[in-house]
Formats: sequence, structure tokens, C-alpha cells
Amino acid sequence: MARIEGRFGVHALARGHTSERHRSELVIATKSSLDRVIGGGLVAGEPIAFVGPPSVGKLQLALRATASAQAQGGMAAWIDPTASFDPLAAQRANVDLDRLVVVRARGTGLALAAAAALRSEGFRLVVVDVGDPAFGGVNVDDIAPALSAVRGSPAALLVVAGERGRRLAIPTFVFERVAWERRFDRTVGWSFAVGRAHTSDRALFCVTSLEGALADLGTRADLATVAV
Amino acid sequence: MRDPVTLAIVVTDAPELHSRLLATLHAALPRVGVLDPGAFACDLAGTEDLLGAPARVARNVLARCTLVGARASAGIAPTPFVARVLAERTPPGEVRSVDDGRAFLAALPLDVVPVDPKVHEELRLLGLRTVGEFADLPRGSVFDRFGSAVARAHALARGEYGDMVRASAPLRRIRARRAWDDAIGSREQLVFALRVVVDEISAALARDGFAALRLELRLDRESAGPLRIERTVLPPTREAAALLRSLRWALEERAELGLVTGCALEVPEVEAARGRQIGLFAPDGAREEEAIATARYLRAKLGKGAVLRARVADDSARLPERASEWVEVIA
Repeated sequence: MARIEGRFGVHALARGHTSERHRSELVIATKSSLDRVIGGGLVAGEPIAFVGPPSVGKLQLALRATASAQAQGGMAAWIDPTASFDPLAAQRANVDLDRLVVVRARGTGLALAAAAALRSEGFRLVVVDVGDPAFGGVNVDDIAPALSAVRGSPAALLVVAGERGRRLAIPTFVFERVAWERRFDRTVGWSFAVGRAHTSDRALFCVTSLEGALADLGTRADLATVAV
Repeated sequence: MRDPVTLAIVVTDAPELHSRLLATLHAALPRVGVLDPGAFACDLAGTEDLLGAPARVARNVLARCTLVGARASAGIAPTPFVARVLAERTPPGEVRSVDDGRAFLAALPLDVVPVDPKVHEELRLLGLRTVGEFADLPRGSVFDRFGSAVARAHALARGEYGDMVRASAPLRRIRARRAWDDAIGSREQLVFALRVVVDEISAALARDGFAALRLELRLDRESAGPLRIERTVLPPTREAAALLRSLRWALEERAELGLVTGCALEVPEVEAARGRQIGLFAPDGAREEEAIATARYLRAKLGKGAVLRARVADDSARLPERASEWVEVIA
């Protein structure tokens, strides 16, 4: 320890409980049932991935997380290699567009942009929406070089992808469509569930296509309690 | 209370030596002020026990000035104004001192008094020819007729008004260095190790109220010559995070750093630190500058049109491309 302190300074070492005490300050809570499924919310200095089929609701929740990060007083970076970011949808999700920097980078620029944003100490949340490779998106593994910048960063990294990466070992939450909602033979929305693949607990949401609003239905455990 | 003693050093023939003379005086005396280019006032009050008699101090200072290549003259008087006038009327290389400033000034022509030429003309029309005649005028009448600026000059002529010597802090080299027993081969480890050095630099800048404008980093390497990196910090800052970020980006631009065994970081150029608006209720409001700096870096790397900010132009537009507008974060 003395050698590490002599080399890197007295702040290089800290006891674990010190970090735990400050954990509450680092959490970006979305104030939805998603927080209970992912353990309180997105945490600064930690990566997380939303994975699921197209148009299931990943970006809706990512926008909600962005708005929550901004509500805590920080800025957010949105890495958008497919140039598909929709400002209107973001505004509807209460995202402050003045405090959101959108970076359109592909290839090696993708990891560069993510790493620079994570290291800058200027952002609370960095979202990387890689899109679906079948529709012009990039490979989720392209951001692997940026992962080393997450630890110690004041920002949380949220990766939104169509499928899991082969080189990307980060906590992944799977989005599954539960049911389509139809009225008068027309589809007016859908519900989806979010959770880790190996656990049974899921957060349930409903999207209505008329307003594009996201309704929080609670967790599956909550619904089971209500049913009983 | 200490008796006021001022030493004035005047160099008339070599104005280009001003900064070197100032550094020489800073090295020799505790309180040094600049009156004009080539004219300095040094407050010697209370220094007799430590430095010796004022005349001796003046001779030592003149000897140092000679080493710099300047032929200076010295005047010792109770007030800076009298000391300067005395030094200007002393041959180069000599020291003169007066105890009664008013008596010394009395015989001098009125041009010595620092007032507007129109006031000089008016005083001549009143029949005044010497400083002594001007000093004998009633203070209240001078103030009523000519105003506060001439009243101040009147006090100088009486040898009473002692302008404080506005001493400037000597410029210090702001630098820090570290040597490591084990060579550092990883860029990430190096940045982590540099954090300590940057913290030290940041504290030194904060102590002097400066912001760094330029950084010079020298990395000592095990199997290669030293690597020198220069960075310009815009906007100037003393924030450790911003300084470290600048260095990190400079390091990332190098493909190979080699094994680093030590570093020396210096701030060769500074400017006065400016205040900044911090969001009172936003804990990270002050971090916006960091975000913009990152955007500037990414724009430099990725090119135009890559780092953008969106704005909703018309939320009821039928065409999506008309609903929103995109602007460069860094124009």
C-alpha cells in the first residue's frame, strides 16, 4: 500500500465502504419499475446494455434514463452511428435537448466518442445506440475498446443494441414484447417486459402508439401480488 | 510605526531591460513596485535590521543592476515621489538620499509636479515658478480651484503624500515533477500517475490566483530520449480535471510512449483566473465546460457535422426533416 501511495498519491487507495457510502449519489434513477429490476438505477462508472428486437421500447427507456440524468443536473451524450436520433421523441420524453450532445460516429470513431465522453467528467450518462445491423446499424462489439474508460467515470454507459455482443461482457437487460394491444382490429400499442435473462423478475411497460407514451405497469412480482 | 523609507531605482538609457531589472529587484528586495517602464519604487520600511542601512541596500542593488547591463541611479526618500525625483536627478551609478522631501522639492521647477499641461500653464499665469511656491498655496484653495487631481499633486509637492508602493508578486515557476522506481508502460497507468502531479500544479495555480494557459510536459523514458509535449489550454483553467484531460488527449495522439520513468510538468504561461457562473441548484452545472471541451475535441477528431445539438423547430410538422433542426455544438 505504501508503495502504491508513493507512486500514485494518497488518493489512489480508498476503502470499499467509502465507495458504498457515495453510491447513492452516483445512481441515476429512472423512477420506474425498471429501477427495481436493475438494482436501483443506472450507476455512474458502470456499463449496462438494453438488448431486444427493433421497436420494442429500448429507446423509450433510454430516453427516460437520459431525462433522469439531466434532472440530476448533468449533461448527457448520445452516440448515434445510424443518425436515427429523433429529437421530437426525446422532447416528449422530457429530455432537455440543450443539454444533450449527439455524436454521429461510426467505426473506430464510435469507441473514441464513447471513451472521450466517459472520461471527460462533463457527462452523467453516455448512451450508445448502435442500431440493428440488419437496418444499417453497427456491430455492438465496436464499442468494446471504450469499456476500459467506464470504470471511475462520473458517467454511466448505456448501450442500446439489437443483440448481445460477442466481445462485450456487461450487464445486459433483455427486452421482450409481451402482447400487442388491439382495438377495433387495429394495433394501438404493445406491452413489453425488461429483465435479466437468467432471472424471472421483469419490469412491465406499455406503449400506446397514439401518443407514444410509456406507461409503467410495475414489476411482474407486483402484478402477481395484485392478482392474488 | 515604521518610518517610511523608499528607494527609487531609475534607468533611463535601457528601457528594454525593464523585465530583467524587475526580476533582479524582486530577487533582492521584498516589496518592489513599478512606477513606469525603467522606474521602480522599493519600500524599505522595517528592513534595516535584515538588509542593512538603506544606502547600503541601494549600492548593492545598483551593483546587481550593473551586472544586468543597466546603468541605474538610486534615490532614497520618505515618499516614492520624492525618491523618484531624486533618482532622476542623480548621475547613473550613484546614490543620493534626502530626509526632508519638501525642502528638497522646494527649489525644483514646477515641471516636476505631475499635473496636466493646462494646469501648469495656469499656475505659471498665477506667477508660480517653483515647487516650493506651489506647495505654499493653501490646500483648500487648490482643491476648490483645481480639483482633487491637482490637490493630490499639491500634497506630493509638500512631500506629505506617500503613495503606497504597489508591490507585485514575483513570478514563480509553477512546476512539479515525479520519478517512479518502476517504469510505466501503459498509457492508462501513466494518466493515473500524472493525476498526482496535476493536482500539485492545480493547487499552486489556485494559491497564486492563476489559470494555466500553456502546459509543458517532459516524460523521461527508459530506453529513449525525453518526450516533450506542449499543450495550450483554452479556455485557461486551473481545474485539475481539465488539465489532466488536456494531457490525456496529448498522450493519446502518440502511438508509442515507451517506458516512462519520470515526468516534469510546468506551466510556462498563466493568466489571472477568472470566475465562472456555477448553477446554484445543479450539482454538475459547472461541468458543462468539460462537456463542451469534449465536444470540441470530438469535432476536431471526427470532423464537421459529427457533434451536434438538436432543436425541435415545429412539433406539428408533417415531414420529419422539418420537425427538428441540427446545429453544431462547436461552431
